[in-house]
Amino acid sequence: MGTGEVRKTVTLLAVSAYFGVLLLGTVGLWISWHRAGLSPDQPIAFPHTIHVSKLNLPCNFCHIFVDRSKHAGAPPVEKCMSCHRTIATEREEIRKLTRHYEEKKPIEWNRVYSLPEHVYFSHKRHVKAGVDCKNCHGQVGAMEKIRRVSSLKMGWCVSCHRARGAPRDCATCHK
Amino acid sequence: MKRRLKRRDFLRIMGGVSGSTLVSSCGSGNGPKKFISYILPPEEGILPGEATFSPSTCAECPAGCGVSVKIREGWPIKLEGSPGHPVNDGGLCIRGQSSITRLYHPKRIGSPMLRNGSGKVRRISWEKAFSTVSETLDASRASGRTNLFLSGRTTGSLSGLIGMFCGKVGVKRLPEFEVYSHSEGKEANGLLFGERDVPRYRIENADFLLTVGADILETHVSPVSYTRQLSRAKSKEGFRWYHVEPHLSLTGANADRRIVVRPWQEAVFLSFLLRHLMEKGPRRGEFPREISEALPRMSVERVSEATGIPAGTLQEVADRIAHARRPLVIAGGVSTAHPGGLEVAGAACVIQWVTGAVPDLVDFRRRENYESVGTFRDMEDLTARLGGGEVGVLFLSRTNPVFSLPEEVGFRENLKKAKLSVGIGDLPDETMQEVDLFLPLSHSLESWGDVEPRRGIVSLQKPVLKTLHDTLSEGDMLLRLLHGSAGEGTASGYRDFLFDAWRKRFGESGRSAFLEQGYFEEPLPAKRVSLDGKKAASLLKGAQAGMKPGEPVLVLAPSLRTFDGRSRGLPLLSEIPDPLTTISYGRWLSVSPETAAGAGLKERQEVTVSSSSGWSQVLPVKVQPGLPAGVFVACRDFGESPPLRTEKRTGGTIEYIEKVTIGKTGKMAAIPILSGSPSQQGRGLIPDPVHRDEKQHHGRESLYPEHVHKEYRWAMAIDLALCNGCSACVAACYIENNIPVVGKKDHLKGREMSWLRIEPFYGEAGNVDFLPMLCQQCHSAPCETVCPVYAAYHNPEGLNVQVYNRCVGTRYCSNNCPYKVRRFNWFWHRWEKPLNRMLNPELQARGAGVMEKCTFCIQRIRAAKDKAKDGSRTVRSGEVTTACAESCPTGAITFGNLLDPESRVYRLAHSGRAYRVFEGLGTDPSVYYLSGEKGDPGKKSHG
Repeated sequence: MGTGEVRKTVTLLAVSAYFGVLLLGTVGLWISWHRAGLSPDQPIAFPHTIHVSKLNLPCNFCHIFVDRSKHAGAPPVEKCMSCHRTIATEREEIRKLTRHYEEKKPIEWNRVYSLPEHVYFSHKRHVKAGVDCKNCHGQVGAMEKIRRVSSLKMGWCVSCHRARGAPRDCATCHK
Repeated sequence: MKRRLKRRDFLRIMGGVSGSTLVSSCGSGNGPKKFISYILPPEEGILPGEATFSPSTCAECPAGCGVSVKIREGWPIKLEGSPGHPVNDGGLCIRGQSSITRLYHPKRIGSPMLRNGSGKVRRISWEKAFSTVSETLDASRASGRTNLFLSGRTTGSLSGLIGMFCGKVGVKRLPEFEVYSHSEGKEANGLLFGERDVPRYRIENADFLLTVGADILETHVSPVSYTRQLSRAKSKEGFRWYHVEPHLSLTGANADRRIVVRPWQEAVFLSFLLRHLMEKGPRRGEFPREISEALPRMSVERVSEATGIPAGTLQEVADRIAHARRPLVIAGGVSTAHPGGLEVAGAACVIQWVTGAVPDLVDFRRRENYESVGTFRDMEDLTARLGGGEVGVLFLSRTNPVFSLPEEVGFRENLKKAKLSVGIGDLPDETMQEVDLFLPLSHSLESWGDVEPRRGIVSLQKPVLKTLHDTLSEGDMLLRLLHGSAGEGTASGYRDFLFDAWRKRFGESGRSAFLEQGYFEEPLPAKRVSLDGKKAASLLKGAQAGMKPGEPVLVLAPSLRTFDGRSRGLPLLSEIPDPLTTISYGRWLSVSPETAAGAGLKERQEVTVSSSSGWSQVLPVKVQPGLPAGVFVACRDFGESPPLRTEKRTGGTIEYIEKVTIGKTGKMAAIPILSGSPSQQGRGLIPDPVHRDEKQHHGRESLYPEHVHKEYRWAMAIDLALCNGCSACVAACYIENNIPVVGKKDHLKGREMSWLRIEPFYGEAGNVDFLPMLCQQCHSAPCETVCPVYAAYHNPEGLNVQVYNRCVGTRYCSNNCPYKVRRFNWFWHRWEKPLNRMLNPELQARGAGVMEKCTFCIQRIRAAKDKAKDGSRTVRSGEVTTACAESCPTGAITFGNLLDPESRVYRLAHSGRAYRVFEGLGTDPSVYYLSGEKGDPGKKSHG
């Protein structure tokens, strides 16, 4: 092996190692971010399991705007407090909730389902058309920690619109 | 060596690129990241993501139009005219639309500022500010100086509070300062009718309107109110409107007939009309004797010679006014702002009296509350007092005399001689930069208040958001100053003060109605006035004196966009071009085509305008068709301290500069004139019968299948006989649709972003037609077929939709559009904080490389359909309208569903007056224009 060839091999190795590490890093980060995006940690560990499966609360008991507005809305803190003034008050998560209420500080939940700015979406229209919450949000009652189950990609929206005969004019959703 | 370097460069670049790609891909997804809960559920009727409306009053000019504030997620995002409001009844002008940008103006001053001895300003607390004022007030009184309070026109409860404050604290209240004080009109009304104020003109009840110089569509007293009334009058058979002026204004351009009078000769013209009325009028028997004797005997020829109006025209106007059943003459504006202005106003009063217009058409009962407004002379007096060193504290509230008064008056220098000058305002204007203490004022949307623009009509101002900065309302400032110095148990805040005042004035239930509705109309007893014949006679004698200016003359005209200059600071008003000249940014001098040809002046050429007194200013030329020779026009606020004089008898301003000379500087100015040509170039955009035939030559042969519309086909009808080019729709469109303000540099490159523009077209006779041009939503749209990515497509409701996030920016669509209504984003346009709060969340702000356009406010259509679907029905006629149509003060724009035969738009689109622009191209637009002579809609019907 001449020095030229050694140098060539070293260079090749160095370049592929550089790009290999880069690629691995990118994939790793992408996976971890994607995972986190699907199911981010919340400021209060709210279990849908208890509220939906055990207590059988309907979705719009807490998400009070879901059949009236574009936005389903996070439940007003007072709604939580209407039960949690007396129930499970000793638990750490409920104490957090009470603090928010007493300090009049809104809870900043981390969004699980978010649409890009150019999309018009109305919960009300979908609920009124008889689309079940499950269709998009999955078996929420089985989720200890809420997790995104649908891609929210345009193809996913359109496939359902097509199946149900809903409008497929671009301007229905594109702002 | 060379190769190695290249390889290293390659690696470096690759490293950089891959690294930056990685970084930029972080945080993918551009939706909101937080999901925030309410503490308490909102009140019934308030839903997240839906707009609420709150009544208020526009404070941009003294007219006091009622507005309805559109609020999204706690932020006001748009103003609409409030329907049913006694002043404007639904319309809102360009300045009113833009006034929301004053609230979010990035340059607003956010806290009290004090200037120290060396001229530096620093922020101070309100406590410190109030104590400084109180201490100086006391010290001045002790040292024998007078404390003074000067403000812009103030009405309603605030006026009462200022009076109370001044009385208790020992401050003398000065007459209010307004550039457009209407001094001559008020003086004439005072002399002849004993009412020193501006009456309310009831234009809608007249059958012949003659306006002399009064720019009723632009700035005169209450323009939206006049415009609305004029539209109503025009809907009546036989109504005619003539306008007499020495120059060319937007008002003149819209009259059924515009008559150009030689400057300062209006009184001769009006005396001629009076003489004719005396001899041939229906009430010639009841003519006051003194007046008959005082009227000069002048032949038509002599009058024609003096006024420059052809004898035939004079005779026609005279006959028309004599035969009209309810004629109304309104004089004002530039026609009274000259040495003979009092005679012009006086002659108009006498005509009003002898034609029986008083009190039905000229109503002093609901007068316009201008009585407390002072004159130009009052400001000279104030300057003299300041110069004499006798002023202690001088309050300057909502007024900018440093800018509005000529340099020669010396206000700026003498202001420094006051012990403490206290400015109350919002933006750092010329006056605010001179004062010792600056007290920042809350916007009218941030504070409680009321105004009384007309006697007995009270309009509400109600806060819709917390103050953005550390500001106070003027009422709160005064009350806190009162508490500090007098320590009396008055109301705790201005809100309580107002609520108390309203309860006293309207009663408990009246107050609740007022708070909900936003206005209150008090019944007032009828007011009888009578003409003082002797004074009228002596005024009329002066009318024949024939005051003549030295020619050529420069007229300083009020500006549609900036009023007297007060709205200059709002960027949107510079972005929207002046409708007559289509100049957006910068100042200009309008020159008549004859003068320009004679002196070899070209458009955009820089010239020096100088007066005999030694004043001069450099301005670029705009050749203005329709302008009489020898008359130059510049906007009042363009003048850098023009040498204005005081009219001796009324104390008003002479808005003319005589004997001006024009000298070329040899330079060309960069000034954006947005219209390519003042003429239609024979293209028949506004057709005459010749061009109407054009559509016959083209067949409708299409390679594409016909579009099918099931429920809706959205269409618009624009009545060109009503459109007056006021550009309110343009401002409304900008704000509704998040259209960026791009600035002068881009305008010079033809990169303006307006989705809707006003195109003025000048006829050979000097007449002007205005054509609002927006996306025509063609049925066979040339733009759609050329889009390679299907971003421009035809939707099932007949709209040419643009899918912004699909657009890749080839610009083929724009190239193929015959109407030139598509706009391309060359850059990412940013809304400087806090202007971004104004963005309409129903639309995305478009990014660089994206083509954008009007889609008939598709977000409003979507909202209306959503509401209709809730009721399992379709959208009803009149349920949805576009931002331009909603704002239009004349009601020229109608929007609706063309498939609904009951809808108004269907009726108009199928009327004989309807045509479409470039119909011959076969584009089949959805925008129908209604042609027809101005003022005579329906009469002249094309086949």
